[in-house]
Amino acid sequence: MSTLSIEVSPEQQRELERFYFYEARLLDNRQYLQWLALLSKDIRYLIPARVNVQVNNRERGAEDMISVERELEGEDSMGCPHREENYILLMLRAERAYKINSWSEHPPARTRRIVGNIELMACQDDVLTLVSNFHLYYSRPGNENVMYSGQRRDTLLATDEGLRISRREVVLDYANIELPTLGLLF
Amino acid sequence: MRLRVRDLVNADASLISRRCWSDTEVYALEKRGIFAKSWLFLGHESQIRFPGDFVQAYMCETPIILSRGQDTAIYANINSCTHRGLPVCRTDHGNTKRFVCPYHNWSYSVEGNLQTIPQESEVSHKPDKSQLGLKRVPRVEMWRGMIFGSFNENIIPLEDYLGDMRFYLDAFFDRFPAGIEFMGAPHRWVINANWKLPVENQLGDVNHGAFLHSAIIPREAQDTIEKLGYSVVTTPGHGATFRLMPEDAPVDEVAWGMEAVGSIFGGDEVQNYLREIQAQAVERVGDLRSRMKGLTYGIYPNLSFLWSNTSFKVSHPRGPGKVEYWSWAVVPADAPDHIKKVLRTNYSSFFGPAGILEQEDSEVWSQQFLGSNIDFADDRPYYYGLGLGEEKSHPDMPGLVSVTANEFYARHFFARWRDELQAVEEAL
Repeated sequence: MSTLSIEVSPEQQRELERFYFYEARLLDNRQYLQWLALLSKDIRYLIPARVNVQVNNRERGAEDMISVERELEGEDSMGCPHREENYILLMLRAERAYKINSWSEHPPARTRRIVGNIELMACQDDVLTLVSNFHLYYSRPGNENVMYSGQRRDTLLATDEGLRISRREVVLDYANIELPTLGLLF
Repeated sequence: MRLRVRDLVNADASLISRRCWSDTEVYALEKRGIFAKSWLFLGHESQIRFPGDFVQAYMCETPIILSRGQDTAIYANINSCTHRGLPVCRTDHGNTKRFVCPYHNWSYSVEGNLQTIPQESEVSHKPDKSQLGLKRVPRVEMWRGMIFGSFNENIIPLEDYLGDMRFYLDAFFDRFPAGIEFMGAPHRWVINANWKLPVENQLGDVNHGAFLHSAIIPREAQDTIEKLGYSVVTTPGHGATFRLMPEDAPVDEVAWGMEAVGSIFGGDEVQNYLREIQAQAVERVGDLRSRMKGLTYGIYPNLSFLWSNTSFKVSHPRGPGKVEYWSWAVVPADAPDHIKKVLRTNYSSFFGPAGILEQEDSEVWSQQFLGSNIDFADDRPYYYGLGLGEEKSHPDMPGLVSVTANEFYARHFFARWRDELQAVEEAL
């Protein structure tokens, strides 16, 4: 990902922003069922674990020595990612919010997210590869208010119905999790 | 007025004061009476396979480096430089020849011995380096790959400490031809709760499942627990809950892992692998234990094991109202890598910091701390009396045995807790 994003027209960029801003608004307005409709049914939703890794002395002076990728225990690693989910599990999470006995959702949290730095990194036929950043403010009764910060690495499909998320990897900026839960929809 | 331990937990431990969970003086006594004296879990052998391998651990709030020495022996040292106290190991895991303090570059071998003092050559009186190594945890012992350390030089051997809990742990460990291994670094997260509540929850509290988690766990699962479930206490503070499946139960209902989501999505290959393990179970662990389908396990003071969603967890205190909770995904050591990757989601989907069930547990654990930290309610201790005195011995299963609704697992924990705190309180 150490390349400039691909050249896009202002109209294309605007189209991508419209999608992401709509998605953010649905999530902050707790309209998770409508959010589910933005997912491709074969979605892979991932949150790698992140660790404080040892650097290799022989690589000193090189950027690779402290690359973010090395801190991630993702789906291909033999570590344990925080989340490796499919559509059914995301549906389970989304539907929980509307059950009166989902105790950690009631009263519901107040969230506000800002999605930015939206970059289209590749586009082949109908498959778009993007990165974006987010800050998510989270406020729940009985908890301190916290800020989630991270990057989303997405694969979107351009379909007749509009853009659909077919893969999302959320890279959170935490090793020790000083947050109430990583069970949110990011 | 000073708190007295005898006022915190009554004689039969059916009434537990709110102060047990929230008082700083009580926490100071816990450090001296429990964490300084018990066997504490440090890590699993599979995390430090080769000379030079290390992982970080904690004993209460004290940071520990657990390492495999160049001599292949296992070492546990306090991660604090003898010169000015900085941590000398600053990464979660790795392989190294030495640990170097960033301040003045004092360096230590992976066994914890002080190797070099860069400033030494400039002074005439040379320090005795052999006396200045990292502080070694005086007792380190391993059972079934599980490594424990103790600051108590006179503590009983680990195997005796675990006692009859080994019978129930072996029902899991021995099920797998090559035992188990831990996958990757632990998930570590901070919860605003007292360390004992995650412990109590994982020691035997399966009765919150169908209520707190009712949005996910169907009522029928609770019915099965009520019908087939047992709770045992082998030694106060050690306990297990499990379902003992009927002799004619189909293999898919008994086999470890079959009921968790990773296996469900894993398809035939994963499920056949699990069936194969179960097919060897009678031979490996005997008839009774082959039918055991575990739920929660607890090892005093702060190690937990969740059989159903295969994970080991440690509740590290960070003061009376804060926990750094660590948990690891555990898989059969000889499973192929791609099957291990599926089985780890049996843990991570439902437990851990993103777990769809654990997000409710951590919520109530922090809410319980709020309730324990209030004023004007000290005459309302918590009621721990459900099933008082109803536990009995059993012809085939070691320990005291009862239905899962009996809160004796918690009463025994708190009776031991009270006695251990009283011992150090009286020594003051």
